[in-house]
Amino acid sequence: MSTTPQWDADAAVDELYASHYRRLVRLSVLLVHDVETAEEVVQDSFVAMHGRWRTLRDPEKGLAYLRQTVVNRSRSVLRHRSVQARHTPLPLPDQHGTDVDALSAERRREVLDALHELPTRQREVLALRYYLDLSEAEIASTLGISRGAVKSHASRGVAALRPLLKDAS
Amino acid sequence: MNEYDGPPRRADAPGPGPDDEGIRRLLDDAVSHIEPHDSLGSIHARTKVSSMKRKQSWFLGAGAAVAAVAATVVAVTVLSGDGTPDPRDPVAGPTSSADADPSTTPSPEESASPDVSTPAMQTVPVYYAGDTSRGVRLYREFHRTEAIGDDPVTAAVNEAVSTEPDDQDYRTSWPAGTAAARVEGAGTPDVLTIDISSAGQIRTRPSGMSQEEAQIAVEQLIYTAQAADQSRKPVQFLLDGGRTDQLLGVPTSEPLSQGDAVDVLAQVWVIDPAEGAEVSAPFTVSGLAAAFEANVVWELRQGDTVVKSDFTTAEECCTMAPYSFEVTAPPGEYTLVVQDTDPSGGEGPAPWQDTKRITIVP
Repeated sequence: MSTTPQWDADAAVDELYASHYRRLVRLSVLLVHDVETAEEVVQDSFVAMHGRWRTLRDPEKGLAYLRQTVVNRSRSVLRHRSVQARHTPLPLPDQHGTDVDALSAERRREVLDALHELPTRQREVLALRYYLDLSEAEIASTLGISRGAVKSHASRGVAALRPLLKDAS
Repeated sequence: MNEYDGPPRRADAPGPGPDDEGIRRLLDDAVSHIEPHDSLGSIHARTKVSSMKRKQSWFLGAGAAVAAVAATVVAVTVLSGDGTPDPRDPVAGPTSSADADPSTTPSPEESASPDVSTPAMQTVPVYYAGDTSRGVRLYREFHRTEAIGDDPVTAAVNEAVSTEPDDQDYRTSWPAGTAAARVEGAGTPDVLTIDISSAGQIRTRPSGMSQEEAQIAVEQLIYTAQAADQSRKPVQFLLDGGRTDQLLGVPTSEPLSQGDAVDVLAQVWVIDPAEGAEVSAPFTVSGLAAAFEANVVWELRQGDTVVKSDFTTAEECCTMAPYSFEVTAPPGEYTLVVQDTDPSGGEGPAPWQDTKRITIVP
């Protein structure tokens, strides 16, 4: 691909950080329900991608690798956390904002709590589909599951979140 | 590359539903307030170190498979489906892999509360032989054993020669009555010295044992000792305290390095759940596989009936790399079969596989 920039590992980290860091942290927050943990997960993922750059070499592959790593590590963190504090998710820091159309802090928490209650795969599929807007095939390959499984997790997840939707409107 | 926010809708996005836009907004809004701290500086600091030491921090600590195979042990957080620590959790065993970066790898100590009431126990990696489509190969289990001194190597190698594996598909090829221990302070510090003794004759190959079986039996102890020691120091075998030209007919005068993983290890392992485990659904299956194109397929069987099947991918292809997947099924007794795919379309040897009998409890 002639248009692909020939980045070295350091440049790849810088470029992908600039364009995707915030988005990836937010993705991880949807998965792990905690900002600090999400930041760690994403940092670790960038470090891991740096180590793999020799085999990735391409920004798209780098991004795909980052996404997959963030999801895997988020899952691993949850599994780890489940031993100590299964039902006591860490509180999200209070945020003050003037966002009129957005949900209030309370509503956000409801959504994150609802996500947190979902089985891991449903939560992951919802986040990848509705937050990152990935295609079914991309979700399947990111999670290592079949497209059929993506569909069924998505529809169950949507069903679980639907009550919140009604509240919102 | 553009900021990811607000990408165009994908043409091949999953079929639109009436709630899609609402869910999208719900998730966007739920995290829209989050402005992460800038961490480019700390990423740089870590990637510099990383480049120098040529290490990678992947969540299983495996600067990939080589480390996973060599030092093995640790990186695996073994949890049963209900989140309780599996008794086989290597928490009490050696605690960190040389390649694992403690700042990025969930450390085993944190994975479960240490059991202070049984300080004399430790968890050690133990390799066992098993039949595969490509001959006798090694699989690994974690065994919780009484600590012998505080040397995991002695506990592990002794376990390997004298106890039966949990998985009935595996075996130890060492004759009954064999014992093994590490000899501390023997030879140079760069060599692990393992003394073997047996009620029977183990210098030459017993009749009825194939040469391959004998070779794997020796590799079993090399891999076990190195895994417990978390090193790749060559192993010097002694027989009843003295040098021996052979063990089971395998030349052992010199310290031996481990054989190539490709030739010695079964290429698909299920690590958790263990054979005979009781789990509650959903539960996570994890293991290591050096699978063709990293593809790992699995089936949950009851008798000849396949109840569930799916596939996943290991983190890398062609070298022992972590994989995991989630399984849910009604309570009952099952056989879990995990294998790689057959690149030859049936013309080559059958795929690698590992099976575990498990019980899903309500």
